[in-house]
Amino acid sequence: MARPLRILHLYPDLLNLYADRGNILVLRRRCEWRGIPVEVQPVPRGERPDLAHAHLVLLGGGSDREQMLVAETLRGMREDLRAAVEAGLPLLAVCGGYQLLGHFYELADGRRVEGLGLLDLETTAGRTRLIGNIAIESPAFGTIVGFENHAGRTRHRHEPLGRVLAGHGNNGEDGWEGVRYRNVIGTYIHGPLLPKNPALADHLIRTALEYAGEPADLAPLPDDLEQAAQQAVLERRLPAARTR
Amino acid sequence: MLGIWLGKLALWLLRLLGRGATSFPGRLALRVSPGLLGRLGGQLRRCVVVTGTNGKTTTASLLAAALNAEGPWLHNTEGANMAQGLTTALLAHTSWTGRLRVRQAVLEVDEATLPGVIDKLPVRVLVLTNVFRDQLDRYGELDTTMQKILDAVRRSKATLVVNGDDPLARHIALEGGRPVSYYGLNPAQAAQPHRDQTRDGAFCLRCGARLAYDGFFYGGLGLYDCPSCDFCRPHPDFLGSYEDGLLRVVHGNRPPQVFRLPVRGLYNAYNALAAIAAARVVGLDSDTIRAGLARFRPPLGRMQPYATSPETVLNLVKNPTGCDSVLQAITSEHGAKVVCIAINDLAADGRDVSWLWDADFETLVEAGDVRLCVTSGLRAEDMAVRMKYAGMAPDAIVCIPDLEGALRFSLAAARDAGDLPVYALTTYTALYPAAAILRRLEAEARPAGATGGRAVQERGTA
Repeated sequence: MARPLRILHLYPDLLNLYADRGNILVLRRRCEWRGIPVEVQPVPRGERPDLAHAHLVLLGGGSDREQMLVAETLRGMREDLRAAVEAGLPLLAVCGGYQLLGHFYELADGRRVEGLGLLDLETTAGRTRLIGNIAIESPAFGTIVGFENHAGRTRHRHEPLGRVLAGHGNNGEDGWEGVRYRNVIGTYIHGPLLPKNPALADHLIRTALEYAGEPADLAPLPDDLEQAAQQAVLERRLPAARTR
Repeated sequence: MLGIWLGKLALWLLRLLGRGATSFPGRLALRVSPGLLGRLGGQLRRCVVVTGTNGKTTTASLLAAALNAEGPWLHNTEGANMAQGLTTALLAHTSWTGRLRVRQAVLEVDEATLPGVIDKLPVRVLVLTNVFRDQLDRYGELDTTMQKILDAVRRSKATLVVNGDDPLARHIALEGGRPVSYYGLNPAQAAQPHRDQTRDGAFCLRCGARLAYDGFFYGGLGLYDCPSCDFCRPHPDFLGSYEDGLLRVVHGNRPPQVFRLPVRGLYNAYNALAAIAAARVVGLDSDTIRAGLARFRPPLGRMQPYATSPETVLNLVKNPTGCDSVLQAITSEHGAKVVCIAINDLAADGRDVSWLWDADFETLVEAGDVRLCVTSGLRAEDMAVRMKYAGMAPDAIVCIPDLEGALRFSLAAARDAGDLPVYALTTYTALYPAAAILRRLEAEARPAGATGGRAVQERGTA
């Protein structure tokens, strides 16, 4: 391809709670290993991302205060975001970024922070934090493993990312985790998310290539180490997930 | 007097509870008697202070070991380097009637604390290890840390022992108006600049030009020279050359002295060189210093050498920042090496291992001389994936979850590759098991009939 695949990393200076740098690194390397030119552009705090030239957007999680700063900036361009998402812009939102996609999210003290309203989704505050290793089964991507750590309880009226095999998921009650809407994926799973779940990483690259109007046939990569890492978490940390 | 009693009571109670007394007794005593640090400090006959951004703790501990070979010197415990901690250290040697029993002190002092305590202590020698700044300032305006150190230096009556390879420390020495002895490493050991260093290169604090470097030791330490004014690296009064755990020190035109270091790494060679230079300035001869250093017990997991075959150097990694400084210490050791990284995810390690992706393992790949990376522990596979994405060639990554298996494999591979050193990094819960395995491997490496040896017995108490 002539022009590089352009990945926007939103506000790494604010949203860096759960090593989202790892997600970016995985996307970058898996493109490089296939000879796909790729360009990662970090968007600093206060700045509005240039969506017109983006093929994939990553929105991570931060503390409440940092997330409010991000919400403020992004709310100012809600219509652009909505239009891009409806047009199929791939967007990966993790933890706080996931909560930000909805109508609102609730802080521990009960205050509600207005979200971006891109999805029909809302997050209320729970009394306890849901913390630990998590495994889900996704119809599209198979088993996904990682770590979750969130007080928010999220409910939505879209397709979930997967069914919880072990762990808590969206709200610890309904057995679902994450969301899928057009090319948006939202999830509480970090660890980071992509290194141990290469099928999901490749899905993001594929949809980004399609969105960029480029051929999206991805050459397979040797993923032995990645698969071994996923299996190890299942065996050592989430034996319950394997019996489901 | 009430302050002394309360402080000593707190010290005694904490000891009874088996807790290390660090800041609390001093804080309590200072609250009741704010002038206490000056009253106790005033009883000192002489005092040596170690300050700077990196290496304070190791330098001060090494110096204390050397000085104690000559007579009793009191010393503050690791990290207790602000007014409260200094007071605690003095209280521990104060009688109930307020008399200080040990009249010499070697103290590690936080840079920002220095101006507040410099008048309260008879500082004869002040060691400045280095000054690393968060932000580069090209207009010669000193940031607050630099200004604080400089203020303290100007008000002191100390002889300075300064790292001449650090342009910022050099600047303080030039501006401070006190007699100075510089220490520095042999230019032959400087490495060519790589990514971070060219980006973080310092500016001349006199004229604002970007300093030119002929080579780097680590961070901004190196062979600097200002292209537009006369600011330059001084010729060191104490010139160190470091190789294979031995530090050769040349002091002026005296014959070179060789010291076996109880800690490993170029990083620590600087600390040892600072300690040796300071001990010489205090007036100790080289044999006394050698005897003192030989009694030094390296803290568990801080570039701690084991006499396995070949040698293993053990390091604790806890979080991204700590991990990055360990990686920096390892990559500042030039030459081919094997690295073994054991990551556990038990409660004491942190159950979430996301932090692995925030630590800069890329430096191991960029250094270009890590021949093999063995990953181990309950998260061996996560670590293997991390190294793969850091850019390590897949056939240079071996994943062996069992810790003993991983260490044995690392040593065997290092032996086959020509006796390369092995650098082991472990998280907290893997540290003690790794130390125990390495002690066993040390015993196996000793020729039959050899006796236990001092080093092994000492480590047995760790």
